[in-house]
Amino acid sequence: MLKEILNKFLIIKDVLAAVVIEENGEIIESIKSGIVIDKNLEDVISTVMLDSKTTAAHLGNAALSMVFVEYSDNFLILGPLAEEFFLIIIAKNSVNIGQITYEMKKNQDAIVSCL
Amino acid sequence: MPMIELIPDGKSIGWMQAPPQWIFTHTVRFIGVVRVVIKDGEGFILIRKGKTLFYYFRHGRIELKGHAALDYFNSQSTIEFNLCKYTPEEFAQALKICNVEDQVPDNTAGSALPAPDKSPFAVVSTPFPEPAPVAEEPGAQRVPRPVVARPKTSVHTERDPVIPPQIILDEKDIRIIGQIKKLNGIVAISVFDEEQNIILMGDVEIEPLLKIARSLLSTTDKITPLLEWGSFVHMTLQIPEGNIIIAPYNDYYLCLLTTRTINIGHIRRILRDLQQDGEHV
Repeated sequence: MLKEILNKFLIIKDVLAAVVIEENGEIIESIKSGIVIDKNLEDVISTVMLDSKTTAAHLGNAALSMVFVEYSDNFLILGPLAEEFFLIIIAKNSVNIGQITYEMKKNQDAIVSCL
Repeated sequence: MPMIELIPDGKSIGWMQAPPQWIFTHTVRFIGVVRVVIKDGEGFILIRKGKTLFYYFRHGRIELKGHAALDYFNSQSTIEFNLCKYTPEEFAQALKICNVEDQVPDNTAGSALPAPDKSPFAVVSTPFPEPAPVAEEPGAQRVPRPVVARPKTSVHTERDPVIPPQIILDEKDIRIIGQIKKLNGIVAISVFDEEQNIILMGDVEIEPLLKIARSLLSTTDKITPLLEWGSFVHMTLQIPEGNIIIAPYNDYYLCLLTTRTINIGHIRRILRDLQQDGEHV
Protein backbone atom coordinates (compact mmCIF):
# COMPACT_ATOMS: atom_id res chain seq x y z
CA MET A 1 0.00 0.00 0.00
CA LEU A 2 2.75 2.44 1.03
CA LYS A 3 4.71 1.55 -2.10
CA GLU A 4 1.68 2.38 -4.20
CA ILE A 5 1.42 5.82 -2.66
CA LEU A 6 5.12 6.45 -3.06
CA ASN A 7 4.81 5.44 -6.68
CA LYS A 8 2.62 8.49 -7.21
CA PHE A 9 5.76 10.53 -6.67
CA LEU A 10 7.94 8.42 -8.87
CA ILE A 11 5.69 8.98 -11.86
CA ILE A 12 6.26 12.72 -11.59
CA LYS A 13 8.75 13.73 -14.25
CA ASP A 14 12.36 13.82 -13.00
CA VAL A 15 11.64 12.29 -9.58
CA LEU A 16 14.32 9.74 -8.73
CA ALA A 17 13.25 8.41 -5.36
CA ALA A 18 10.64 8.61 -2.65
CA VAL A 19 11.63 7.44 0.80
CA VAL A 20 9.82 7.14 4.12
CA ILE A 21 12.25 7.18 6.98
CA GLU A 22 11.94 6.96 10.72
CA GLU A 23 13.78 9.38 12.95
CA ASN A 24 16.16 6.62 14.08
CA GLY A 25 17.41 6.38 10.51
CA GLU A 26 15.54 3.24 9.56
CA ILE A 27 14.13 3.34 6.05
CA ILE A 28 10.52 2.18 6.28
CA GLU A 29 9.88 2.10 2.57
CA SER A 30 11.49 3.43 -0.56
CA ILE A 31 10.87 3.44 -4.24
CA LYS A 32 13.44 4.58 -6.74
CA SER A 33 14.31 4.87 -10.38
CA GLY A 34 17.75 5.65 -11.77
CA ILE A 35 19.36 6.14 -8.39
CA VAL A 36 20.94 3.88 -5.79
CA ILE A 37 20.15 4.48 -2.15
CA ASP A 38 23.52 3.50 -0.80
CA LYS A 39 25.04 4.05 2.63
CA ASN A 40 26.13 7.57 1.73
CA LEU A 41 22.68 8.58 0.62
CA GLU A 42 21.16 7.02 3.72
CA ASP A 43 23.57 9.07 5.82
CA VAL A 44 22.65 12.20 3.88
CA ILE A 45 18.96 11.62 4.45
CA SER A 46 19.46 10.98 8.17
CA THR A 47 21.68 14.02 8.55
CA VAL A 48 19.28 16.36 6.81
CA MET A 49 16.39 14.98 8.84
CA LEU A 50 18.03 15.19 12.25
CA ASP A 51 19.94 18.44 11.70
CA SER A 52 16.89 20.20 10.30
CA LYS A 53 14.78 19.14 13.23
CA THR A 54 17.42 20.42 15.63
CA THR A 55 17.81 23.68 13.73
CA ALA A 56 14.07 24.25 13.65
CA ALA A 57 13.96 23.63 17.39
CA HIS A 58 16.33 26.57 17.79
CA LEU A 59 13.76 28.74 16.08
CA GLY A 60 11.53 28.90 19.12
CA ASN A 61 10.66 25.23 18.83
CA ALA A 62 9.17 25.83 15.43
CA ALA A 63 7.55 22.93 13.67
CA LEU A 64 9.46 21.90 10.60
CA SER A 65 7.35 22.33 7.47
CA MET A 66 9.76 21.38 4.72
CA VAL A 67 13.45 21.28 3.90
CA PHE A 68 14.93 21.76 0.44
CA VAL A 69 18.53 20.99 -0.40
CA GLU A 70 19.50 21.72 -3.96
CA TYR A 71 22.65 20.88 -5.87
CA SER A 72 23.34 21.64 -9.51
CA ASP A 73 22.18 18.16 -10.54
CA ASN A 74 19.76 16.90 -7.95
CA PHE A 75 17.36 18.08 -5.33
CA LEU A 76 16.23 16.67 -2.00
CA ILE A 77 12.97 17.62 -0.33
CA LEU A 78 12.15 16.48 3.15
CA GLY A 79 8.79 16.84 4.83
CA PRO A 80 7.53 15.57 8.17
CA LEU A 81 4.79 12.97 8.08
CA ALA A 82 4.04 12.21 11.67
CA GLU A 83 5.90 12.59 14.95
CA GLU A 84 8.86 10.38 14.04
CA PHE A 85 8.47 9.83 10.32
CA PHE A 86 9.59 11.82 7.33
CA LEU A 87 9.05 11.66 3.59
CA ILE A 88 12.02 12.40 1.36
CA ILE A 89 11.82 13.01 -2.33
CA ILE A 90 14.94 13.04 -4.45
CA ALA A 91 14.67 14.49 -7.91
CA LYS A 92 16.58 16.07 -10.72
CA ASN A 93 16.62 19.79 -10.22
CA SER A 94 14.56 20.27 -13.37
CA VAL A 95 11.61 18.83 -11.45
CA ASN A 96 8.48 20.84 -10.75
CA ILE A 97 8.89 21.49 -7.04
CA GLY A 98 5.40 22.89 -6.69
CA GLN A 99 3.97 19.62 -7.94
CA ILE A 100 6.05 17.62 -5.48
CA THR A 101 5.16 19.72 -2.46
CA TYR A 102 1.51 19.57 -3.50
CA GLU A 103 1.64 15.77 -3.74
CA MET A 104 3.47 15.56 -0.41
CA LYS A 105 0.71 17.47 1.35
CA LYS A 106 -2.03 15.68 -0.54
CA ASN A 107 -0.72 12.20 0.30
CA GLN A 108 0.49 12.87 3.82
CA ASP A 109 -2.54 11.41 5.59
CA ALA A 110 -2.59 8.37 3.35
CA ILE A 111 1.08 7.68 4.05
CA VAL A 112 0.66 8.18 7.79
CA SER A 113 -2.22 5.72 7.80
CA CYS A 114 0.17 3.08 6.44
CA LEU A 115 2.78 3.58 9.13
CA MET B 1 23.89 77.77 0.58
CA PRO B 2 25.56 74.93 2.51
CA MET B 3 28.00 72.91 0.46
CA ILE B 4 26.02 69.70 0.98
CA GLU B 5 23.07 71.17 -0.84
CA LEU B 6 25.18 72.22 -3.77
CA ILE B 7 26.89 68.98 -4.66
CA PRO B 8 25.15 66.71 -7.21
CA ASP B 9 22.77 64.07 -5.84
CA GLY B 10 24.34 61.18 -7.75
CA LYS B 11 22.72 57.79 -8.10
CA SER B 12 21.94 56.11 -4.80
CA ILE B 13 23.33 52.60 -4.40
CA GLY B 14 21.97 52.05 -0.94
CA TRP B 15 21.73 53.19 2.64
CA MET B 16 23.81 51.38 5.18
CA GLN B 17 24.87 51.48 8.78
CA ALA B 18 28.43 50.58 9.48
CA PRO B 19 31.57 51.69 11.28
CA PRO B 20 33.16 54.62 9.40
CA GLN B 21 36.14 52.41 8.55
CA TRP B 22 33.90 50.27 6.41
CA ILE B 23 33.56 53.12 3.94
CA PHE B 24 37.28 53.32 3.41
CA THR B 25 37.71 49.60 3.00
CA HIS B 26 34.88 49.09 0.55
CA THR B 27 35.14 51.91 -1.92
CA VAL B 28 38.22 51.13 -3.99
CA ARG B 29 36.06 50.92 -7.10
CA PHE B 30 33.62 53.60 -6.10
CA ILE B 31 33.45 57.08 -7.58
CA GLY B 32 30.98 59.39 -5.94
CA VAL B 33 29.80 60.80 -2.69
CA VAL B 34 29.05 59.03 0.55
CA ARG B 35 26.25 60.95 2.22
CA VAL B 36 26.51 60.62 5.98
CA VAL B 37 23.80 61.16 8.56
CA ILE B 38 24.69 61.37 12.25
CA LYS B 39 21.89 62.28 14.61
CA ASP B 40 20.47 65.56 13.32
CA GLY B 41 23.51 66.41 11.27
CA GLU B 42 24.54 65.43 7.79
CA GLY B 43 27.67 65.44 5.77
CA PHE B 44 29.50 63.75 2.95
CA ILE B 45 32.75 62.23 1.84
CA LEU B 46 33.93 62.58 -1.73
CA ILE B 47 35.68 59.44 -2.88
CA ARG B 48 37.36 58.46 -6.09
CA LYS B 49 38.37 54.80 -6.17
CA GLY B 50 39.28 54.56 -2.51
CA LYS B 51 40.89 57.96 -2.47
CA THR B 52 39.09 60.23 -0.05
CA LEU B 53 39.11 63.77 -1.38
CA PHE B 54 36.91 65.79 0.88
CA TYR B 55 35.07 65.46 4.18
CA TYR B 56 32.20 67.65 5.23
CA PHE B 57 29.72 67.66 8.08
CA ARG B 58 27.08 70.11 9.12
CA HIS B 59 24.99 70.28 12.27
CA GLY B 60 22.80 73.33 12.54
CA ARG B 61 25.06 76.29 11.92
CA ILE B 62 28.21 74.37 12.68
CA GLU B 63 30.16 73.24 9.64
CA LEU B 64 33.13 70.89 9.80
CA LYS B 65 35.44 70.36 6.86
CA GLY B 66 38.49 68.21 6.26
CA HIS B 67 40.04 66.59 9.32
CA ALA B 68 37.54 68.10 11.70
CA ALA B 69 34.74 66.34 9.84
CA LEU B 70 36.77 63.15 9.51
CA ASP B 71 37.55 63.12 13.24
CA TYR B 72 33.88 63.51 13.98
CA PHE B 73 32.99 60.60 11.66
CA ASN B 74 35.62 58.46 13.30
CA SER B 75 34.35 59.30 16.76
CA GLN B 76 31.17 57.38 15.93
CA SER B 77 31.04 53.62 16.39
CA THR B 78 28.67 53.41 13.45
CA ILE B 79 27.33 55.91 11.02
CA GLU B 80 24.45 55.85 8.61
CA PHE B 81 25.34 56.61 5.03
CA ASN B 82 24.19 56.44 1.46
CA LEU B 83 26.60 55.56 -1.31
CA CYS B 84 25.78 57.78 -4.30
CA LYS B 85 27.58 57.10 -7.53
CA TYR B 86 28.75 60.03 -9.69
CA THR B 87 29.24 60.36 -13.40
CA PRO B 88 32.59 61.97 -14.35
CA GLU B 89 30.73 65.24 -14.93
CA GLU B 90 29.04 65.10 -11.55
CA PHE B 91 32.30 64.25 -9.88
CA ALA B 92 34.03 67.18 -11.55
CA GLN B 93 31.21 69.45 -10.44
CA ALA B 94 31.45 68.20 -6.85
CA LEU B 95 35.21 68.76 -6.83
CA LYS B 96 34.69 72.29 -8.05
CA ILE B 97 32.09 73.01 -5.38
CA CYS B 98 34.41 71.61 -2.71
CA ASN B 99 37.31 73.50 -4.19
CA VAL B 100 39.38 70.33 -4.45
CA GLU B 101 41.99 69.86 -7.11
CA ASP B 102 42.32 66.18 -7.71
CA GLN B 103 45.32 64.85 -9.55
CA VAL B 104 45.15 61.99 -12.03
CA PRO B 105 43.50 59.18 -10.15
CA ASP B 106 45.71 56.32 -9.26
CA ASN B 107 44.86 52.85 -8.13
CA THR B 108 46.47 53.15 -4.77
CA ALA B 109 44.12 54.04 -2.04
CA GLY B 110 44.95 57.04 0.01
CA SER B 111 43.78 60.37 1.23
CA ALA B 112 44.30 63.66 -0.55
CA LEU B 113 44.40 65.26 2.82
CA PRO B 114 47.63 65.47 4.76
CA ALA B 115 47.97 62.66 7.21
CA PRO B 116 46.52 63.65 10.55
CA ASP B 117 48.41 63.30 13.79
CA LYS B 118 46.30 60.46 14.99
CA SER B 119 45.40 57.37 13.06
CA PRO B 120 41.91 58.18 11.97
CA PHE B 121 41.53 55.09 9.86
CA ALA B 122 42.76 52.61 12.44
CA VAL B 123 40.66 49.50 12.27
CA VAL B 124 40.47 47.27 15.26
CA SER B 125 39.58 43.64 15.29
CA THR B 126 37.44 43.78 18.36
CA PRO B 127 33.82 43.07 17.62
CA PHE B 128 31.95 46.10 16.48
CA PRO B 129 28.85 46.90 18.45
CA GLU B 130 25.68 45.88 16.75
CA PRO B 131 23.98 49.07 15.66
CA ALA B 132 20.29 49.37 16.25
CA PRO B 133 18.00 49.26 13.25
CA VAL B 134 17.28 52.70 11.91
CA ALA B 135 13.72 53.92 12.08
CA GLU B 136 12.27 54.55 8.64
CA GLU B 137 11.37 58.12 7.90
CA PRO B 138 7.79 58.40 6.71
CA GLY B 139 7.67 58.95 3.00
CA ALA B 140 11.40 58.80 2.61
CA GLN B 141 12.50 57.62 -0.82
CA ARG B 142 15.31 55.36 0.11
CA VAL B 143 16.51 52.01 -0.92
CA PRO B 144 16.48 49.39 1.85
CA ARG B 145 19.21 49.98 4.33
CA PRO B 146 21.52 47.37 5.68
CA VAL B 147 21.81 47.25 9.39
CA VAL B 148 25.34 46.09 9.81
CA ALA B 149 28.41 46.02 7.66
CA ARG B 150 31.79 45.20 9.03
CA PRO B 151 35.21 45.45 7.53
CA LYS B 152 36.96 42.12 7.34
CA THR B 153 40.27 43.41 8.56
CA SER B 154 42.63 42.66 11.33
CA VAL B 155 44.43 45.15 13.51
CA HIS B 156 45.88 48.06 11.56
CA THR B 157 47.35 51.29 12.67
CA GLU B 158 48.43 52.82 9.37
CA ARG B 159 47.51 56.37 8.68
CA ASP B 160 45.93 55.72 5.33
CA PRO B 161 42.65 53.98 4.75
CA VAL B 162 42.98 50.30 5.41
CA ILE B 163 42.25 48.40 2.24
CA PRO B 164 42.20 44.68 2.81
CA PRO B 165 44.08 42.72 0.17
CA GLN B 166 40.85 41.20 -0.98
CA ILE B 167 37.86 43.47 -1.11
CA ILE B 168 34.91 41.72 0.41
CA LEU B 169 32.01 43.30 -1.40
CA ASP B 170 32.09 45.89 -4.10
CA GLU B 171 29.48 48.24 -5.41
CA LYS B 172 27.99 45.58 -7.67
CA ASP B 173 27.61 43.17 -4.76
CA ILE B 174 25.87 45.76 -2.65
CA ARG B 175 23.55 46.62 -5.51
CA ILE B 176 22.67 42.95 -6.10
CA ILE B 177 22.04 42.33 -2.43
CA GLY B 178 19.92 45.47 -2.26
CA GLN B 179 17.89 44.28 -5.24
CA ILE B 180 17.26 40.90 -3.64
CA LYS B 181 16.24 42.60 -0.40
CA LYS B 182 13.65 44.60 -2.34
CA LEU B 183 11.90 41.47 -3.62
CA ASN B 184 8.49 40.78 -2.18
CA GLY B 185 8.73 38.52 0.84
CA ILE B 186 12.40 39.05 1.65
CA VAL B 187 12.61 40.07 5.29
CA ALA B 188 16.38 40.18 5.56
CA ILE B 189 19.46 39.19 3.64
CA SER B 190 22.93 38.66 5.02
CA VAL B 191 26.29 37.92 3.50
CA PHE B 192 28.34 35.97 5.97
CA ASP B 193 31.23 33.59 6.33
CA GLU B 194 32.35 31.17 9.00
CA GLU B 195 33.66 33.98 11.16
CA GLN B 196 31.38 36.95 10.82
CA ASN B 197 28.49 38.73 9.31
CA ILE B 198 29.75 40.88 6.47
CA ILE B 199 26.62 42.76 5.60
CA LEU B 200 23.01 42.59 6.65
CA MET B 201 20.03 44.30 5.08
CA GLY B 202 16.81 44.12 7.02
CA ASP B 203 15.61 44.82 10.51
CA VAL B 204 16.47 41.60 12.26
CA GLU B 205 18.86 40.60 14.97
CA ILE B 206 21.89 39.25 13.22
CA GLU B 207 23.25 36.79 15.76
CA PRO B 208 20.20 34.50 16.02
CA LEU B 209 19.89 34.54 12.24
CA LEU B 210 23.56 33.70 11.78
CA LYS B 211 23.30 30.92 14.33
CA ILE B 212 20.60 29.27 12.23
CA ALA B 213 22.46 29.96 9.00
CA ARG B 214 25.64 28.36 10.35
CA SER B 215 23.66 25.42 11.57
CA LEU B 216 22.32 24.87 8.05
CA LEU B 217 25.79 25.36 6.65
CA SER B 218 27.09 22.73 9.00
CA THR B 219 24.52 20.30 7.62
CA THR B 220 25.57 20.97 4.03
CA ASP B 221 29.23 20.62 5.01
CA LYS B 222 28.44 17.15 6.30
CA ILE B 223 26.38 15.95 3.35
CA THR B 224 28.11 17.54 0.37
CA PRO B 225 31.14 15.22 0.44
CA LEU B 226 28.79 12.24 0.45
CA LEU B 227 26.94 13.29 -2.69
CA GLU B 228 27.91 13.49 -6.31
CA TRP B 229 25.17 15.86 -7.22
CA GLY B 230 27.26 18.77 -8.48
CA SER B 231 27.76 22.05 -6.70
CA PHE B 232 25.68 23.15 -3.75
CA VAL B 233 23.00 25.65 -4.77
CA HIS B 234 20.94 26.31 -1.65
CA MET B 235 19.39 24.85 1.45
CA THR B 236 16.00 26.08 2.60
CA LEU B 237 14.46 25.42 5.96
CA GLN B 238 10.75 26.08 5.94
CA ILE B 239 8.79 26.63 9.12
CA PRO B 240 5.24 27.96 9.45
CA GLU B 241 6.51 31.52 9.92
CA GLY B 242 8.70 31.59 6.83
CA ASN B 243 11.90 30.34 5.24
CA ILE B 244 15.57 30.54 6.00
CA ILE B 245 17.70 30.02 2.93
CA ILE B 246 21.45 29.71 2.69
CA ALA B 247 23.39 29.70 -0.56
CA PRO B 248 26.98 30.16 -1.65
CA TYR B 249 27.86 33.65 -2.84
CA ASN B 250 31.36 34.05 -4.28
CA ASP B 251 33.66 33.19 -1.39
CA TYR B 252 30.88 33.75 1.12
CA TYR B 253 27.31 32.72 1.81
CA LEU B 254 23.98 34.41 1.57
CA CYS B 255 21.34 33.94 4.19
CA LEU B 256 17.82 35.00 3.33
CA LEU B 257 14.99 35.28 5.77
CA THR B 258 11.69 35.30 3.92
CA THR B 259 7.98 35.21 4.53
CA ARG B 260 6.15 31.94 3.92
CA THR B 261 4.44 33.32 0.85
CA ILE B 262 7.60 33.94 -1.12
CA ASN B 263 7.97 32.36 -4.51
CA ILE B 264 10.68 29.76 -3.85
CA GLY B 265 11.03 29.14 -7.58
CA HIS B 266 11.90 32.79 -8.13
CA ILE B 267 14.49 32.73 -5.36
CA ARG B 268 16.00 29.52 -6.76
CA ARG B 269 16.43 31.14 -10.17
CA ILE B 270 18.10 34.18 -8.62
CA LEU B 271 20.48 32.06 -6.57
CA ARG B 272 21.38 29.95 -9.59
CA ASP B 273 21.98 33.04 -11.71
CA LEU B 274 24.16 34.57 -9.01
CA GLN B 275 26.25 31.43 -8.77
CA GLN B 276 26.60 31.16 -12.54
CA ASP B 277 27.67 34.81 -12.71
CA GLY B 278 30.19 34.14 -9.95
CA GLU B 279 31.64 31.24 -11.90
CA HIS B 280 32.08 33.42 -14.98
CA VAL B 281 33.91 36.23 -13.18
